[in-house]
Amino acid sequence: MRRVSAVLRAFLTLLAVPASAAAQVDPVAIIDAVDRLYRGESSHAVATMEVVTENWERKLSLEVWSLGTEYMLARILFPRKEAGTATLRAENNIWNYLPKVDRTIKIPSSMMGGSWMGSHFTNDDLVKRSRLSVDYEIDIAGETSDPDGTSYWNFSLLPKPDATVVWGHIEYRVRQQDLMPIEARFFDERGTLARTMEFGDFTEFDGQLLPGTLHMRPSDKPVEHTIVRYEKLDFDVDVSRSFFSRRNLKKAR
Amino acid sequence: MPKVVELSWTKVGWRNLRRNPKRTLITAGGLAAGYFAVVFMGGWTGGIKEELIENATSLVGGQLEVHHSNYLPDKNFYDTIGGRGGVDVLEILETVDADPAVLMSAPRVYAGGLISSGESTSAAMLVGIDIQREIRVSRFLDQLILGRVADTGSAELMLGAEAARQLEVEVGEEVVLVAQGADGSLASGLLTLVGVFDTGLPELDSGMAVMPISDLQDLIVLPKSRIHEIAVAAQNPADADATARRLEAALAGFVGDISVSPWTELHPVVVDYVALSDSMNWIIVAIVFTVAVFGVANTMVLATVERRREFAVMLAIGATPRSVAGAVVAESLTIGLASLVIGSLVTFPLMIWWHAAPPSLDWLYGNTTMAGVLISPKLRIAFEVPLWILSAVVLLLTTIVAAAYPAISAARISPADTLSGP
Repeated sequence: MRRVSAVLRAFLTLLAVPASAAAQVDPVAIIDAVDRLYRGESSHAVATMEVVTENWERKLSLEVWSLGTEYMLARILFPRKEAGTATLRAENNIWNYLPKVDRTIKIPSSMMGGSWMGSHFTNDDLVKRSRLSVDYEIDIAGETSDPDGTSYWNFSLLPKPDATVVWGHIEYRVRQQDLMPIEARFFDERGTLARTMEFGDFTEFDGQLLPGTLHMRPSDKPVEHTIVRYEKLDFDVDVSRSFFSRRNLKKAR
Repeated sequence: MPKVVELSWTKVGWRNLRRNPKRTLITAGGLAAGYFAVVFMGGWTGGIKEELIENATSLVGGQLEVHHSNYLPDKNFYDTIGGRGGVDVLEILETVDADPAVLMSAPRVYAGGLISSGESTSAAMLVGIDIQREIRVSRFLDQLILGRVADTGSAELMLGAEAARQLEVEVGEEVVLVAQGADGSLASGLLTLVGVFDTGLPELDSGMAVMPISDLQDLIVLPKSRIHEIAVAAQNPADADATARRLEAALAGFVGDISVSPWTELHPVVVDYVALSDSMNWIIVAIVFTVAVFGVANTMVLATVERRREFAVMLAIGATPRSVAGAVVAESLTIGLASLVIGSLVTFPLMIWWHAAPPSLDWLYGNTTMAGVLISPKLRIAFEVPLWILSAVVLLLTTIVAAAYPAISAARISPADTLSGP
């Protein structure tokens, strides 16, 4: 059985990677299996996030802990000016800790679409992530292959009628040989491509293959992007639910 | 000789009004009520018009606003006046102030952010202002409902009443401010709430946080030379378009990509309303006096039919049909003059009283907004003098038109037939 990073799940709106190398062609079953697999699993990661916009560029170093699909704590290590700034996600709530003023604020639901730490990821990406298989009808849209013989599945995710989601539909491309996600494209309600995420640098972390970089590009601003690079990723670390508390948000571990 | 006779018939017409003073008074009273209605409605819509223009041009927004030409309509954060390099703020303010129509200008910086107090957090528009200049441009800080204006460099801010209520924060307490810095960093600050304002505009009272401009620039890492807006107070709102063109020319000299918007561009709906309310006055005048024509005509027909024999005698002893018609018209016109006297005696004292002390209409409706511009629940009356004169003239014309049919009928009476009949 191959596990997938819980950090990834907690961090970004992505396709979860199936647990079995056997080609499970039922996409809903794949997502459901993945959802079950992550329950109770934990992770610890160090990553860098590089954000490039029309007006500025910045690079952050982050330390991230996660537990299951519901709990995540991310803290900025670098640059020094912002070190200690931290985000806690517990169930459907997000809090930010601001070391400069030593205060914790809860992100209101109206701001869930807002940028997370100035990046091209939204607060919503941190929260809604575990609900892909709940909120979307998942179908295989087709299969493609590269000249070198690598084959891919294209999954199409359409929101269920009663789901409260921000995207009109999502398209995923997954590599068949190892079920690695390659690309995810997010479309708005009018069917216009809003942003694209590319996965790359597939690397073994703690014994399992994962995309080492995530590259998010908004469609309306071609010069802008955010790249997340994993430097270190460990699984089954010793964190309990009590670790993901607002009190712990304030102090470095 | 004929002249003397005609004057006498006119006098006869006037005297005839006293034959039935009750009927005359009721008719004149009806016309007076019509006159009051027209002048009152015109005064009220004029008052709303005045208030809309005032609130659009000086409550929060300026009569004119200076921006980078790309700033509006999306309020692009990075499109500050003068572009990335910024501008000599004092110099540009002095250039604006030098215009003869300009009373005062005030710089502003805007940023989106979050305000948090205890468990509550809400999104807010952070507004940085130069307090000394701002209070001479806009009115929203004139009457803080609580506290005082913020001091520069003291980590102080002011909030709208609704925002303070939602955040459950009181004057003297601290709030946390979070915003995206101009360099992309996550900026945060701990500020003390020192004043609460109440503009009456829900979106501002619930979502605007105001602080000294340099404090906001420091918080969001924006150089002091970068501002988003210059709000301008000027003399006559009617001249705003011309002032805007003049300012644009004056500023183009030393800062590129500049745009000066008069209130007529910033609040096109108010301009539309002003045009609409002016044409509404015409419609009201037309409706009221069209109805009045029939009322007066009814009175005059009755007054002439019952006096057929009298007109026949007049014609028999040498009055011309024309002078008989003139007598009827004079009679009707006299009713009109009397109604104007009664109408004025009722209308003008009330108009002057309500103009001086507008009665509250909050039992009828609360603060209302029209396209983002506040209208307060007050019966504010404007003196629309052209409308007073216009409706007086139309009232007198009404009485002449109403008398036309009875006057012609009276002039066509055949003396022999009428006097020989029963």
